[in-house]
Amino acid sequence: METINIIIDLFPYALLGSILAGIICSFLGVFVLSQRAVFLGAALTQVSIAGVAFSFLHLVNLEVMLGSYFSIDVIENSFLHHFEHTFFSLLFSMIAVLIFSQSYRQKLITQDGLLGIIFVIAIAVRIMFIQKSPIAEVSEIEAILKGDILFIGANEFYTMLVILLIIFLIFGLFSKQLKFVTFDSETASAHGINSRFWLLFFYLTVGIGISLTTRFVGDVFTFAYLIIPSSIGMIMAKKVSQVFIIAVIIGAVIPPVSIFLAFTFDFSSGPTAVVVAFVIFIIVYMVKRLL
Amino acid sequence: MKDNYLISLSGLSIGYKNKIIHSNINLKITDNDFIGLVGPNGSGKTTFLRTLLGTLKPLAGNIDKDGVRFGYVPQRDTVQPLLPYSVFDVVMMGRYSLKGLFEKIEKEDIAIAGESLEKVGISSLKNMNYNSLSGGQRQRTLIARALAVNPNVLILDEPTNGMDTPSHYSLLSLIEDLHDQSKLTILLVSHLLSDVANLAKKIILFEKDNFQCGNIDDILSEENLSKTYSTGIKISKIGSEFFITSKHTHANGNN
Repeated sequence: METINIIIDLFPYALLGSILAGIICSFLGVFVLSQRAVFLGAALTQVSIAGVAFSFLHLVNLEVMLGSYFSIDVIENSFLHHFEHTFFSLLFSMIAVLIFSQSYRQKLITQDGLLGIIFVIAIAVRIMFIQKSPIAEVSEIEAILKGDILFIGANEFYTMLVILLIIFLIFGLFSKQLKFVTFDSETASAHGINSRFWLLFFYLTVGIGISLTTRFVGDVFTFAYLIIPSSIGMIMAKKVSQVFIIAVIIGAVIPPVSIFLAFTFDFSSGPTAVVVAFVIFIIVYMVKRLL
Repeated sequence: MKDNYLISLSGLSIGYKNKIIHSNINLKITDNDFIGLVGPNGSGKTTFLRTLLGTLKPLAGNIDKDGVRFGYVPQRDTVQPLLPYSVFDVVMMGRYSLKGLFEKIEKEDIAIAGESLEKVGISSLKNMNYNSLSGGQRQRTLIARALAVNPNVLILDEPTNGMDTPSHYSLLSLIEDLHDQSKLTILLVSHLLSDVANLAKKIILFEKDNFQCGNIDDILSEENLSKTYSTGIKISKIGSEFFITSKHTHANGNN
């Protein structure tokens, strides 16, 4: 109980933010998994980090430009202070999603192959960007690039809350289109629904979600929570709605519990959250096999 | 209906980008037609269907299909969902294309989906998981989804592929009923020439650089089919039923 109080006192936004990050990833994960696009999740986490690394080159000083335009002190305003990292993280992810969404037009390389190339190139350019960054401490940049649950502050928390609401709104309002184009895009097109547009729209939404959660809680947590809770949902559920509900519950519950375990046993919170999710997955998988 | 036709294709060229697959297609599809589309792989059947459905732009010419609503049944193997959709969920998708962006599903939509399930004889399966169905049941589900659109024209792409014999004939019987009783115009793509010959009223035969359309008796000659498929084709008729088979050449050269 004492540990819980300490965590609540010291990291209130981390605790709440971990729940939001878990919900965002697990909810989007159902879409990613149902589209057999798991590797897209992996690639986007790395592309997102490459975008943040690019921002450290300070080739375009967006923060100063926006600060002077809106007459805001960049140093004082913590949101604007980190705007460039988030902006380039999102920009890089959007470009990757656009490239991926157009890959069906060609037959020279498979989508998996393309994602594999995006994945390794993102890692390679990240290293190159960091090497050319004017900031001397590479290890410090690496730590900032990869995010950490415990570093979630008020800005990150409210940004994720807004993103979560937007994602729920989009997937709720356009659930008809979502169901049809993800189930059978060919027939949806034949029946007059613009499958290409809708798939691109949903993938861009996924890209925004993945990009921001990677920025705030790290690539390992994001990728793990895209895949593991939705996989558990698919194993357990008998209806589509149940898949989403189970995935979201797991995505919401395990991260704060993992922060508690990480504190108790002196582990890093991100990897602990991944391992705990994996343990739950194994238990569910074994029980399902035995039944 | 315009001058006795539902769809009119005039001077139509189909293909991709700069590659024309067929050109100068002139065809009128009338109400309650039953047209079989046959031809070897790569002869342009799918390109023709996509152009007709509007998912592929014609390279030239015109398609007059105002007021026509298509119900499309894709090849079963192309639909392999990971999510546990129920049969009813799948059939309801047929109603989605008729709804506006923010329009909700109404009681009428649910009733139409239920009727569609009834028409194809799988009302009892409505709560079953689509993934747990047999091939024949899945195909009926996809047909029910196409019927939920309330179509004028039902397009079926290889509906009996990979089915066992009872399911195969049961499905053909359903398609025949939909044509006869529901008065639907049907376009059936199939590799099984006998099925098309026995069900359809007209036939479109796609060759590599040619396109023939006409009545069954005009198009289905051994000479015509042998030329199209580049192999010997034998046509037998027992009663009113066609049996179209390939003439296999044995190693000793005898047929």
